[in-house]
Amino acid sequence: MKQQEFFSSRWALIISVLGIAVGTGNIWRFSRVVAQNGGGSFLIPWVIFLLLWSVPLIIAEFAIGKYARLGPIGAFGKIAGEKFSWMGAFIVMVATGIMFYYSVVTGWCLRYFFSAASGNLMTIDNHLDYWNQFASGNLPLLFHFISISIVAFIVFRGITNGIEKFSKILVPTLLLILFGLFIRAITLPGSLEGIKYFFTPDLNIILDYKVWLNALTQNAWDTGAGWGLIMTYAIYMRQKEDISLNASLIAFGNNSVSLIAGITIFSTVFALSSVDALQQISQSGPANTGLTFIYLPQLFGKLSGSIFINSVFASAFFLALFFAALTSLISMVELATRTLIDFGIGRRKSIIFVSVICFLFGLPSALNMDVLINQDWVWGVGLLVSGAFIAFAILKFGVNRFRNEVINGIGSDVKIGIWYNAIIKYFVPIQVVVLVSWWLISSVSWDAEWWNPFHRENAGTALFQWIAVIIIFILQNNLMYKKTVENSK
Amino acid sequence: MKIETIITAFVVLTVVWGGLFCFIRKALFYEKKKSLNG
Repeated sequence: MKQQEFFSSRWALIISVLGIAVGTGNIWRFSRVVAQNGGGSFLIPWVIFLLLWSVPLIIAEFAIGKYARLGPIGAFGKIAGEKFSWMGAFIVMVATGIMFYYSVVTGWCLRYFFSAASGNLMTIDNHLDYWNQFASGNLPLLFHFISISIVAFIVFRGITNGIEKFSKILVPTLLLILFGLFIRAITLPGSLEGIKYFFTPDLNIILDYKVWLNALTQNAWDTGAGWGLIMTYAIYMRQKEDISLNASLIAFGNNSVSLIAGITIFSTVFALSSVDALQQISQSGPANTGLTFIYLPQLFGKLSGSIFINSVFASAFFLALFFAALTSLISMVELATRTLIDFGIGRRKSIIFVSVICFLFGLPSALNMDVLINQDWVWGVGLLVSGAFIAFAILKFGVNRFRNEVINGIGSDVKIGIWYNAIIKYFVPIQVVVLVSWWLISSVSWDAEWWNPFHRENAGTALFQWIAVIIIFILQNNLMYKKTVENSK
Repeated sequence: MKIETIITAFVVLTVVWGGLFCFIRKALFYEKKKSLNG
């Protein structure tokens, strides 16, 4: 199959990939996790795992995509060998499973943007009732449909005219809005208390293993490392494009956005909250909705005496959140589309199929919050397994060969040293083993029926769904390998 | 403000924002070099 399209420049590639990485996880998940893990005590391991997890895996994803020029299924066949295409299929499944409910969440952000822009959100007395009424009605279906339709339109236009063009508008606008909110937040009277908490380490819990594990999970979540999405965009990078510098820029750029969002939220909440600010940030509510859709709208209402000004800031916040979700959703749809293209299906047919499937499989999450929480849990933790599979593929290929021929090959500006071998060989596998073991042990301790696959959030439901898809993919491995790798020759 | 707050803020912001600034400068440098070399 001949490569048709490429990102037009280094900056176009960086902005588009930054669109993947900067998602809703940077804006609301990050703040919640910081609050739950002692502020500054969390930030130190979070920075360490940026270096030990995010940067190496983003480099790996870029390199695999650029080398294989195929989606994860074909790429794993080429890198790890013909027996391991199923691992790529698992990565596709994880990203697709997230895509189904992420479209619903994107719809929520759009709904709240409209509500804030019209001024309605600032006139509501009980935001919890407003949220419950919205979530239990049919409106989430409509906004889920609108979100997937917008994304389908963008992906349908292709890489240069679709993804690149829209990312160039959406990502800088998102960053500009966030920066505007950041300036407003840090200039609020009382905001310094929030900033102080954000950076003050609690020396009693800094060595608590849970803080370190949460720091790793947050890095896996918000940088997009191990999702297969960056691997998919890397298919479209030019041969002369660099890997290591671009990957580092994206990882550090993503975490910089998290810091801006975190300081903004902590400053706003501490400045405007009349009750326990910390409790408000750390309580997540269903699917992390508590802070974002219930508490923050209340706070925006206290920004000034003018409903108009408050609505401007609230609508800017929800527009930023919508753009962040939209650019990430685009990459998930592109990943699923590219997978079908690798199987020999045309781009037009693939995108129509993916959009319809995304809408249909997203319906249960749009109608029932329990389904959404279950899927968020199962495929969210599945990302760690995806990261382990990527490290495994590189080990099979040969770490030294991978570093010398692929990462430091044609187009590389900055050469990666031998330290990379140690991280992929030892650090990434150790991180995964420790984290998954901790997760399993914790699951067993908080749920006596941890094995029951019909519980909403326990080890059983995740293991059951992972194992089910893995068995199917292993049985179909040869067929998938032939259809993707051999057809591409 | 406590000393550990200032140290943490300094370390975190220097590594993350400083790292970003450094990588942007490097990318600009290599882009300029490539455009000069045609």
